[in-house]
Amino acid sequence: MSWRDARRLSDVAFSELSLQAIYAIRQGNLVPAGPPRRLVARARTRVLQSKAIVSFVLGLLAFGVAFALRQSRFERAVFAGPVPPGIFDAGLLTGLLSLDVAFLWWTGMQVLPTFLSSGVLPVLEALPIDDRTLGRTAGLLYLRLFDLPALTVLVATPLLVGLALGPWAGVAVLPGALAAVGFALALSLVTGRFFVRRVQGARGGGGSTVVRWSYLVLWLVPAFAMFAFVTAAGAFFDFLGNVATQGPSVTGHLLLAAFPFSFAALPAIAANGTPGFGLDPVGWLFLVAASAGYLLLAAWSVLWVVASVRRVSLVPPATARPPARARLDLAPQPAMVAVLTKDLRIASRTPGFAFLILLPILDALVLGLWTYASAPNSAVASGLALAAVTIAALLATFFGPAFFAIEVLAYSYGRTLPLSDRSLLAGKVLLVALMYLVASGIVLGLALARVFDPAVFALFVAAELPAVVAASLLELGILFRRARTRGLPVTNLYAGAWYAIFVSVPGLLVAAAPLVAFQTARAEGSYVGLAVMGAIALGELAFAAPFALRRGGS
Amino acid sequence: MAAAVPLRLDELTVRYGERVAVDRLSIRVGPGEIYGLLGSNGAGKTSTIKSVVGLVRPAGGRVEVFGHDAGTDGLWVKAAVGYVPETSLLYDALTPREFLEFVASVRRLDRALASERTRSYVTAFRLEEEFDEPILTLSNGTRQKVLLIAALLHQPPLLVLDEPLNSLDPRSVRIMKDLLVRYVAGGERGILFSTHTMEVAEQLCHRVGILDRGVLRGEGSLGALREKVAAGDATLEEVFLRLTEEGEGVRAAVDSLGAP
Repeated sequence: MSWRDARRLSDVAFSELSLQAIYAIRQGNLVPAGPPRRLVARARTRVLQSKAIVSFVLGLLAFGVAFALRQSRFERAVFAGPVPPGIFDAGLLTGLLSLDVAFLWWTGMQVLPTFLSSGVLPVLEALPIDDRTLGRTAGLLYLRLFDLPALTVLVATPLLVGLALGPWAGVAVLPGALAAVGFALALSLVTGRFFVRRVQGARGGGGSTVVRWSYLVLWLVPAFAMFAFVTAAGAFFDFLGNVATQGPSVTGHLLLAAFPFSFAALPAIAANGTPGFGLDPVGWLFLVAASAGYLLLAAWSVLWVVASVRRVSLVPPATARPPARARLDLAPQPAMVAVLTKDLRIASRTPGFAFLILLPILDALVLGLWTYASAPNSAVASGLALAAVTIAALLATFFGPAFFAIEVLAYSYGRTLPLSDRSLLAGKVLLVALMYLVASGIVLGLALARVFDPAVFALFVAAELPAVVAASLLELGILFRRARTRGLPVTNLYAGAWYAIFVSVPGLLVAAAPLVAFQTARAEGSYVGLAVMGAIALGELAFAAPFALRRGGS
Repeated sequence: MAAAVPLRLDELTVRYGERVAVDRLSIRVGPGEIYGLLGSNGAGKTSTIKSVVGLVRPAGGRVEVFGHDAGTDGLWVKAAVGYVPETSLLYDALTPREFLEFVASVRRLDRALASERTRSYVTAFRLEEEFDEPILTLSNGTRQKVLLIAALLHQPPLLVLDEPLNSLDPRSVRIMKDLLVRYVAGGERGILFSTHTMEVAEQLCHRVGILDRGVLRGEGSLGALREKVAAGDATLEEVFLRLTEEGEGVRAAVDSLGAP
């Protein structure tokens, strides 16, 4: 069989993969009504839409960097400050290539679990297809997960950099774009395999749970790379400015050897004739050797990916330890707590949900540490602490739809249990409230010594809590009501993203209203602001609770 | 005083769009009875069962469990039913322990009772080694055992089992068969049981209902059904084929295949 056969097979497999990714049928979701052909077409369209969104973000990043590169030619004081042009260009392009790797890797981590658990490739294994074609099919199928985003990086980056810095700079950034794509593909597969074996296949039990959550924190690294780059950009350019003043130096040489700076330096040299600091023969050697080495490594990564996808997809999720005889006791809990526990346990083996739970907590940790590092009793410290809580409250409005999506898993079984929508909803709201309190508690713990008035800060957290609960109740109330009338799970994060976004809007408004009120009223004094905030939040709760919890309502 | 009727379906109709999956089906599972629902693929067995456990909303008719209407008293009915679905779609990310703990919590079992029953069933089905493995990693047979334990954990007065012996090893099949016979021996509980396997139905069921394209073609004990088709010593399989008028079709299909 030929590459053409492999392409044809990968096309069929991609349809099945799209169907599983969108409708989660293997996870227990009921098959939606409608002709199968139309469902498949809809699933493929939605996968395409998802890829288009990722590609749009990547294109926007490239555009933003190209815009800054271009404008820095005319408005140096605003864009580059004291940093020389060459190193400014290289610094910005380092950021762009890092974000390209991070965003593609993050995308891979989102889709790899579905890819590996869909069972698409094992189905092909049973057919009389030769090994080479199966390997090629698996490789092509994997590449198709990234096709549009990867093409965006490979086309938009050289094109936009070329427009900003000249055609030679555009050509010179291409190796960097190629390496970014190659590394992201390989990192996605490595972490995907790791996930299937060590997270999804991990046993229950306390120690294992800690290990699973630790792994899932690592999974957040790419997402935080974006966050970190934006927050650390100032310090990074200060560092580059220092390197530029030194002339040829060991630091400069090491910088040239570091990925992706070595690739970012190439277009900077093409545009400016220098990377912004003195380049001696040793520097050239480092630059050429590092660029060539990384490019070879990226090429090998792509070949490894294509050759390994099939093998990786056939590895069953399994624990590394031998089976052990278990203690056979159960510890039942009240229904509401059982829902919360179940959601946390599912999240601990499902990165998409773990991401949502960990995001506000890690965000609070970062902002809390930043607050701690600020000058005591400064406006910056108090502003950061309040911002951390505000972000945690606003992020919480996205959890309602996400935790509702957990119910899509094994939906056809879960709905046969005598669990009222009230208990289900209450369990999920409890989890949202807990996450808000944990995130706020982290900020409170870290910022206590730095915040203008701990009592005001603690009251701020408490005053916002009813609004967070009200927002979740409102969102989940809408979702459960719709699920009841439609008789089907209305949404998972892929199949009905528009609905999840739709219900987040009223949630966001409910969570934001007390925060806006506080900002407006605090001119009259912090405690006045807090009183207004608390009153509004309690009013919202008084409205949302009967709506969501009324008998027959949910 | 007579025991309440575990399950009564009255003129049950299930539609998927224009297609009628179950057409005015009326059956009754009596106290102490194992009732077998037989039928070809797509006959309407699973749709019937799903409407009993609340997964499918009937287009018409009534489902009653111990006198409680499933449409208006859904939570009571769900509490009274133990259900094993046709496909073992579970929370894959949970382990059997975590899954059973969730089920026991929702069914409000106390710790001692839940643990005692779990120990008995897990030991009987030899599930100890897989008890803390994620369900995702388990074989189909093991997943089926988990579902069976979940259905039996609260010892419900009505068991609704959709192809419950699928994928089980012979030892577990034997355990389940004996267990089901004993389960209804007290004369109050009932079991609705769907299967393709005629031998199993013949061994286990007090009465069977034969569904064909959503319509009940025949109902009763094996003896009663033999009388109905005037076949003195026919097996249940032969009775089934006659009632569904599939006998000729089967012969024609085999003839058309020729010698393999």
